[in-house]
Amino acid sequence: MAGTTVSATFEVYRFDPKKDASPRYQRHTLELAPHTTVLTALLRIRGEIDPSLALRYSCRSSICGSCAMQVNSKSRLACETQIGPELERHGRIVLEPMRNQAVLRDLVVDQAPFWHHYAKIEPHLILDPRRPMPAGKENPMSPEEVERFKETPRCIACAACFSACPAVEADPGFPGPMALAKLYRYVVDPRDAAHQDRLLAIQPGGLWTCLRCHLCTEACPKDIRPSERIRDLKEMAIRVQGATELGSRHAVGFKANLRDRGLLNEMKLVRQTSGLFGMLGQLGQGIRVARKKPEILSRPRRIEGLDEVERIYAALDTDGGDAK
Amino acid sequence: MRRHDVVVVGAGLAGQRAALAAIEAGRDVAVVSKIHPLRSHSGAAQGGINASLGADDSVDKHTYDTVKGSDYLGDQDAIEFFCKEAGPTVIEMEHFGTIFSRAPDGSLARRAFGGAGFPRTIYAADRTGLALLQGLWERLGTARFTLYDEWDLTHLVVRDERVHGIVAFDRKTGEFDEIAAKSVVIATGPFGRVYGRTTNAHSCTGDGVAAAYEAGAFLKDMEFVQFHPTALLESGILITEGARGEGGILRNARGERFMSRYAPNVLELASRDVVSRAIYTEVAEGRGFSGPYGGYVHLELMHLGKEKVESRLQEIVDYSRIFAGIDPVTQPIPIFPAQHYMMGGISTNLRGEATLRGLFAAGEAACVSIHGANRLGGNSLLETLVFGKQAGIAAAAYAETAPAPAMKESDLDTAVAPLRAWSDRKDGEDPTVLRTEMQQVMDRYVGIYRDEATLLEGLKHLRAIKSRFSQIRVVDQSKVYNVNLTDALETGHMLDLAETIIVGAVARHESRGAHSRTDYPKRDDAQWMRHTLARKGPDGPTLSYSPVAYTRWDPKERVY
Repeated sequence: MAGTTVSATFEVYRFDPKKDASPRYQRHTLELAPHTTVLTALLRIRGEIDPSLALRYSCRSSICGSCAMQVNSKSRLACETQIGPELERHGRIVLEPMRNQAVLRDLVVDQAPFWHHYAKIEPHLILDPRRPMPAGKENPMSPEEVERFKETPRCIACAACFSACPAVEADPGFPGPMALAKLYRYVVDPRDAAHQDRLLAIQPGGLWTCLRCHLCTEACPKDIRPSERIRDLKEMAIRVQGATELGSRHAVGFKANLRDRGLLNEMKLVRQTSGLFGMLGQLGQGIRVARKKPEILSRPRRIEGLDEVERIYAALDTDGGDAK
Repeated sequence: MRRHDVVVVGAGLAGQRAALAAIEAGRDVAVVSKIHPLRSHSGAAQGGINASLGADDSVDKHTYDTVKGSDYLGDQDAIEFFCKEAGPTVIEMEHFGTIFSRAPDGSLARRAFGGAGFPRTIYAADRTGLALLQGLWERLGTARFTLYDEWDLTHLVVRDERVHGIVAFDRKTGEFDEIAAKSVVIATGPFGRVYGRTTNAHSCTGDGVAAAYEAGAFLKDMEFVQFHPTALLESGILITEGARGEGGILRNARGERFMSRYAPNVLELASRDVVSRAIYTEVAEGRGFSGPYGGYVHLELMHLGKEKVESRLQEIVDYSRIFAGIDPVTQPIPIFPAQHYMMGGISTNLRGEATLRGLFAAGEAACVSIHGANRLGGNSLLETLVFGKQAGIAAAAYAETAPAPAMKESDLDTAVAPLRAWSDRKDGEDPTVLRTEMQQVMDRYVGIYRDEATLLEGLKHLRAIKSRFSQIRVVDQSKVYNVNLTDALETGHMLDLAETIIVGAVARHESRGAHSRTDYPKRDDAQWMRHTLARKGPDGPTLSYSPVAYTRWDPKERVY
């Protein structure tokens, strides 16, 4: 615990859009124990060096979700990030505001878009009027049904995932990992009567924008694993609606191709995903690809060991798709 | 100037529940919170919420345990009402969508907690506060109200013993504004940050309680400060009572399960004041461990097995690993008590009405009193919801018939003038310097054990800090997210509240619940079975006393 200290250099992003033309980085070097958290260090900087540094913080124990920021370019909670490992890896600690949200000042961002997407998925129980709550007693819920929520009840809405998500950056209309993990939490809730409507509502322009990069899962301080829950939602959406969206048709076609031949039939996949008319729209690109890679025009032969592929599919089908 | 029927200040569980009740009563409601509602300290509550839902349990047993836990300072009529409401309140939260842990038969799972005769504490793993906060916030999201998110309360406007509204500023823009209201509900939570060693979040600075005190409301039983037995050493981060409820045990440096000497019947599950004094005594008498962060004892969970610890105490495993470098599955957790809960607060009745017309309070900011001299674990989450709802109902009813508030343009200037003076000053101390000194004074002089000389020494230091506060300087000149200004405001609030704690503690010549006087080691029912009331006077708080309401339970000696 206590004992030796290290010399820790911080480079802290400073920017007041009302006054400053551009951001600057303020450098501080402090003697600190290696297990000191980034938040503790920031509070020392505020208390001893510069009280004008703006940041959000409250619980200092990773439960209120206030202090998410970029620590050496990773979206993290300042209160649970120790300086020792950061210094070993990077030699210094660069602190910047979260991404995908406008900077209000210094390390404080405007979280309105994040809260907007959260509210938009209708995060509350929607009941079937024919099936009211049991009067005066709780709804029974088995421990197995509680398990279906996975880790989503641990979400502290810190927005680290929202900050890390490249799909949010590319498409501000994309709800982002937190909102989708929250949607999952309501879709699997046995008390909720709107599972199907929720899945139908999120398909166009929502679910399938996810790039499956898993950066949200890496960023999440509570191990919610949003990307895995988004995958679950995609599977449920296909089960409810069939493959009607570009993204879902692509996924279904991809799976069928592999199961069938062990290789992708790219012509077929484009048709399965986009339909015949959609395929015409991609004709130009198809011709360009076919010039370089003429084999895409012929139907791939079955690969050797296709029975192995079939065994993998059979295993995946029986265990509910949790194996990778 | 903005106008609403009801303004709720603070948006943790109590504030949100009050808002929901007032909205359901048809009023135009505004919620003002200095942090986003989901970031409220309610979310940090770990262990659970009490309700006598078990077949072997009853409202009477819950009431008795709470009366006994309060060391007979709780008002028994309020406690009876509180315990009767417990079951319906928990069921309602389940219906709102809260995800609780479940028993194999699908009912709400229950665990044992300190000071309770039965496993009565309903929980969501070890993040019950977070589960309730999400459930309530997401339910409130279906209602219409105005949220003033990240607004700091600076002033409660009171004339003729009646509330007319508040003055607050938007942290995001720095703009001050008046919000006129017929009723104001204070639900700003605790003020544990008057101490340095506390489980409380940095936001727990008692802004609404201080504003009510400044405006002339009575505060009640401020000297009763709960120290939680098990907090991590360096950080003061809470390790839930649920850890002992699940079977965790305490050992000193000799390997003794020392609670057998202090509470032979229930050991680690005695009331919090009892366990905290036991740990303090073990360390003070040389039977604790010692280290760079002071003396400590061990909380052991290893014997519970990896599966149980990791499933029911998931957050605790993370906290221990991240903040203490300990894996509780294989290692004991070094712990020592830390300030945890304020039994005192704005004096209210069981409808949430404070002593000024149009002013209401609920949750930890209020003192009804149901916790008396010592709160039982699992009763605070319940209090936020039961009395939050009552305060919301009462505030809505008052707003329905009250005349329009008479806010003046000059109220804004009056409220803002001292803040401008801090920012205009060219020289002066930073508020965080005074805050740190205040915390050191409270840690050192106003702790688990108290005596007159120590308390008076503390009061002298505190008043010296208070006098310096009038000359502080806010360096930060930006209007946007000026945390420096918030620091100053909060520090001023806490200095007032710290003074009421010490003055109340000096005057109470007995030991009761969490208030342990070494110079008056016995409880004195003849003289002191009464509530302390503090009101702001020209030279600090002036004290008066009011009787404890009791119905069925005669005071007995408290043995666990």
